[in-house]
Amino acid sequence: MSEFKEFATKWGLVVDLDKCTGCGACMISCQVENNIAPVVEASNKLRSLNWMWIFEMTNGKAFPENDAAFLPRPCMQCGKPPCVSVCPVVATDKNEEGGIVSQIYPRCIGCRYCVGACPYHARYFNWFDPIWPEGMEKAITPHASTRPRGVVEKCTLCHHRWNYAKEKARQEGKDPSALPENAYVPACVEACPTGAMYFGDLKNPKHKVHELAKSPNAFRLLEKLGTNPQVYYVSAREWVRKQGDNQLPAKEKA
Amino acid sequence: MGVDRRAVIGLIAGGAVGTMFTPAIWKTTGSIALWSQNWGWIPRIPKGERKYAYTTSKLCPSGSGLKVLTVDGLPLTAAGNPAHPLSQGGVSALGLSECYLLYSPARVKKPLLKTGAQFKEISWDEALGLLADKLKAAGGKAAAISGDQNGTANEVISALLAKLGCADKFFLMPSEGQAAGRAWQLMGGHGLIGYDLANADTVLALGADLFESSGATMLNARSYSAQRSSLDKPAAKLVYVGSQRTTTAYASSKWVPCLPGREAAVALGLAALLIKGGASSDAPDFADFKAFVSAGYTPDKVEALTGIKAEVLEKLAKKLTEAKKPLVVAGSEFGQGAPGAAYMAALAVNILLKRINVPGGVYATPEFPKVVDGALSRTQMASADLVKYLSSVAAGKTPAPELLITYDANPAFGLPQAPAMAKALAGAGFKAAFASFMDETAAQADLVLPASLPMERYDDVVSPYGAPFAVYSLVKPLLKKPVHDTKAACDVILAAAAKAGLALGADSFEKLLKTKVAAVAKSGGFIAGKDASPSAALAGKDVAAFSGDPWKALMEGAAYVVASPVKQDGLTLGTKTLAAALKADGAKAEDGALALTCAYKTRSGSPAVGIPAQDLTAVRDTELAGTKTVATLNAATAKMFKLEAGESIKLTGPAGEISALVALSETVMTGVVAVPMGFGHTAFDDFSKNKGQNVLAVMTATEEPATGVNSWSGSKVKIAKI
Repeated sequence: MSEFKEFATKWGLVVDLDKCTGCGACMISCQVENNIAPVVEASNKLRSLNWMWIFEMTNGKAFPENDAAFLPRPCMQCGKPPCVSVCPVVATDKNEEGGIVSQIYPRCIGCRYCVGACPYHARYFNWFDPIWPEGMEKAITPHASTRPRGVVEKCTLCHHRWNYAKEKARQEGKDPSALPENAYVPACVEACPTGAMYFGDLKNPKHKVHELAKSPNAFRLLEKLGTNPQVYYVSAREWVRKQGDNQLPAKEKA
Repeated sequence: MGVDRRAVIGLIAGGAVGTMFTPAIWKTTGSIALWSQNWGWIPRIPKGERKYAYTTSKLCPSGSGLKVLTVDGLPLTAAGNPAHPLSQGGVSALGLSECYLLYSPARVKKPLLKTGAQFKEISWDEALGLLADKLKAAGGKAAAISGDQNGTANEVISALLAKLGCADKFFLMPSEGQAAGRAWQLMGGHGLIGYDLANADTVLALGADLFESSGATMLNARSYSAQRSSLDKPAAKLVYVGSQRTTTAYASSKWVPCLPGREAAVALGLAALLIKGGASSDAPDFADFKAFVSAGYTPDKVEALTGIKAEVLEKLAKKLTEAKKPLVVAGSEFGQGAPGAAYMAALAVNILLKRINVPGGVYATPEFPKVVDGALSRTQMASADLVKYLSSVAAGKTPAPELLITYDANPAFGLPQAPAMAKALAGAGFKAAFASFMDETAAQADLVLPASLPMERYDDVVSPYGAPFAVYSLVKPLLKKPVHDTKAACDVILAAAAKAGLALGADSFEKLLKTKVAAVAKSGGFIAGKDASPSAALAGKDVAAFSGDPWKALMEGAAYVVASPVKQDGLTLGTKTLAAALKADGAKAEDGALALTCAYKTRSGSPAVGIPAQDLTAVRDTELAGTKTVATLNAATAKMFKLEAGESIKLTGPAGEISALVALSETVMTGVVAVPMGFGHTAFDDFSKNKGQNVLAVMTATEEPATGVNSWSGSKVKIAKI
């Protein structure tokens, strides 16, 4: 795998799975914010497209020893993104301060190599044009351009919100590269009723995620693949942490 | 001079090299990429000034404050208003849907009159005239059903019925608030009930799905969040008792499985243990209560009734005793249909723990003054039981109303034994439905009056059930004019009443709300904010009373809060009522029947809203498989009934049957089948229609002796393979 840059600011998401109720507010706020068209067949999961998806986890034991949890999955914003290495047209890249993996729709030729390469199933291909029910396009937001069929899309950690936060900082004469905690949070984090999601600069000790990501309860999905995600999970439950790595035999601790 | 081969090749090669040096080809290639993605049918994003507007969610029962993004004055997305005490920045799937639902394909766009089997569009003048005539003609034989649980709209409608001489026919759609209110009254309590989760250190949720359907859900969730930093140990414990892993159970430190509808037995079992451990109360019936629970609710008996092992119950009682600020909240796993005894028993435990009107306990909150003459108070509204009335109509014991007004309510879909209830409704002489969407009730109405949605009208949210403080906030129109030819329902009611000679003292709802706000502002409360947190006020912090223009402040999205509880005198433990209500508890042992529980999630909408378009993707395939309802059982239960995953089954209740696909999950206790709620619409749009089946059809409403509360959280169903 080719080498990727290291950035001074690394936007990171930490999800406390012990606080997540699987309510879906993150998914819905994401869809509305980022102009994902509602689909009548959405109850058929093969037709739906979600930048944020919630997986259900179970310890596999029978009732009453059973335990279960939900795992919200946005794009992991990998430090070594497998999707970027395979994109033939540089439609996706990890090349901007903050470490958010970009997705440039007009460049995308729809080859779907990235979809196949992503181990987290975080990328979705538009098999259909986005059609809003008549009139509902009036509620489209200015944040994300609508995507036609034939291109791949994914979570951007609401990159536009970062732009707005930087804009605001500049207007107020503050340093846009040193945003205070919560000046920029994605829609999912903002909406979460139980406060299961934390967001901030992983490299900034003033941001809570900096400490949370180092917690002994923290883990990342399929960590052993070496993708180095910027999305962390925490859980006090060992079985949850183990499943996060698909229970592969432990080799070395990163 | 001839053109030879060499010259042609030279020209082509020269041309090719030449184009490499002009930007034209690269620019064109880039543009092709853009052009090929800019088809006319792909909507464009708006480009205007981004602004935020603040209002309150009326569609979400939690009464959350909303922060709405507008571009060029059009509301686009809703997030939680961080300054509003009931949302504190959080928002539910229903609150989120308020903007785009304005454009829902299911909206009623014009007044409709049924002629034969079809609707025909009529003008507002005709509609108003017709409604006024029907009001005059109906006299005392009218009835009204409101889907609003707390707003001033209920004052308007109940006052209208009072003018007609039938105030006793004003009903709310069944909710936890009503049943809990009834229970509180029966125990001699005054005021409305709320739970101070923010200041509690141990919360025991008995059935109540605190983060999804019970009480002030968003406030509950935010309080929970504030107590958990994810770095340190949680500042409070949360234990969930119920038959399935509900939303609240997933966030709890412990899930204690318990048969559905048996919350009262758990609470009384705990009460017995607490009393055994030395707890007592000044309540006049304490001695009777002690005798009642000590004899009838020993851990062994509770185990037989609920499935909770004696040692687990003892541990729970110990947890409550050891806690400094314990709180017990009862409810239904799906936000409706819990028996009155459940609330009474849980309140009795709180009384034994001395947790009434103390920080982190149960608060009795004051009602704000009424502003419409003849209107019912919240307490009065809680005592009218819609299910009881409709059951009586269906049985022919009570005559069907000659005029039935439904307001933001969908009783044809949202009541237990849905088919029987829909039939009772159909018997009404003339049905006028104030509806924003073409729901099941509007579809069978004679006159459909298109109601403006909250973002198109003035309205208010008044102390939603479960808030530990009295709270008032306004809903204001964010659009300059409604999207369709709709009107604010209360404006129409006021106008029709005036036309029928029953003037209610105001000619517009906006003016009435101004009167209400002026009256509310005299309650000595404060405007909630960063330095004026209602939870902190409850915990003893002094907050300066509000002075200023209350209408202006509330129109900017603020919430007016009164955080001083209603004093209680003569509170009892409700022993007599409890004993009578629970006489038959555990007596029935059905053969081959399975306890039924429902899973309700705000993402599946509400009866009057349907499934919001954007929420459908969040509906899991463990709830809805394509268009089929999924019934969840654990492996042991499935084995008992010889069922396997993916098989089709029929669930039969006394009033109807539904079909479902079997899914196996160990998140439901043995002996229970969990079926998702909110599906099976036959009206609305393609996002709601024909998706799954309505589980309410197979629920059984039973009138509880002594409390008179109809409950269906302990329903049983027969199950058969098809």
